[in-house]
Amino acid sequence: MSTKDEPSEFEMRTRALLEESVARVDGRIRSRLTQARYAALEEARRKRHGILRNPAWLPAFGTAAAAVLVAIVLWTRAPVTELPTMAESSPTAFDDLDMLADADALELMEDWDQGFYEWAAAEALADGASI
Amino acid sequence: MTASAALAPVYSMSAASPDEADLPDSAAKSRTHALNRFLAGVEVRAFRIAQAALRHEDDALDAVQDAMLQLARVYPDRPPEEWKPLFYRILENRIRDMQRRRTVRNKVLAWLPSWRAEDEDDPPDLIAQAPSADPPPARRLEMDEAMQALERAIQALPLRQQQAFLLRNLEGLDVAQTAHAMGCSEGSVKTHYFRALQSLRSQLGDFWS
Repeated sequence: MSTKDEPSEFEMRTRALLEESVARVDGRIRSRLTQARYAALEEARRKRHGILRNPAWLPAFGTAAAAVLVAIVLWTRAPVTELPTMAESSPTAFDDLDMLADADALELMEDWDQGFYEWAAAEALADGASI
Repeated sequence: MTASAALAPVYSMSAASPDEADLPDSAAKSRTHALNRFLAGVEVRAFRIAQAALRHEDDALDAVQDAMLQLARVYPDRPPEEWKPLFYRILENRIRDMQRRRTVRNKVLAWLPSWRAEDEDDPPDLIAQAPSADPPPARRLEMDEAMQALERAIQALPLRQQQAFLLRNLEGLDVAQTAHAMGCSEGSVKTHYFRALQSLRSQLGDFWS
């Protein structure tokens, strides 16, 4: 085998001795090697079963799944009808909104003098009737 | 720990070995079977190769275990004919790492002579060292001596020569596979192997003549 195809006598003798030394490896060593082999096979099996079965990936997958769930919930709860346009909405509603948004209007409401406004309204009606 | 206690994990593992685990399909199952057969076929030789390089039983076991795990983790789906060179490539890298680490550790410990005694290797296993009750036959004794001489000679080789010799002569890899396993050219493998043979012949020639 050295430089030619046929192994020399020396090579054959060393090979026989090495094979013998392999055969003499004791049971304790063989037992530990068997345990190491099973650990390696378990590793290969775990890898083959995919990352979903690998506990190390579970937090990442959990986070991703939660993010997808939140996105779906937000998507389905978004309003599907269009907001009413200004023309479609009733003027009273907008008047109320304007009033609520206007701080001065609220102050006027607090100083509401019902008698004065009733008198003014009656005067206005009377003026209109006389015209 | 009793012998039965030590072997218990092995038997319990074999009862629920990964071969028989709930694999989803037959292809994956046969793949695991193939990997099991491959590793079972190389593990003891790999241990002897690692032991020759590291000269330490536990380190050799660690190196083989790491190589098995790495192969199973990274290359289980490669064609089975590629496993052997890949496995020995991983093993050689692991051996080199361990040798480098050991060199650094020894340099550090050289400055700490008082710690050296505490950090010596594990105490010798008295049971393993105890002579067998049965006197070995003459043939066995002769083989023991020849084997010890060969092991000493192999351990004295530079790592690359050692790897080339053991991968070709013990594991039976051809030149191309050895080159792949060693991460070098086929020409380099031939050179390392030739020099290893020369060195071994010069050391063992008298002993074996």
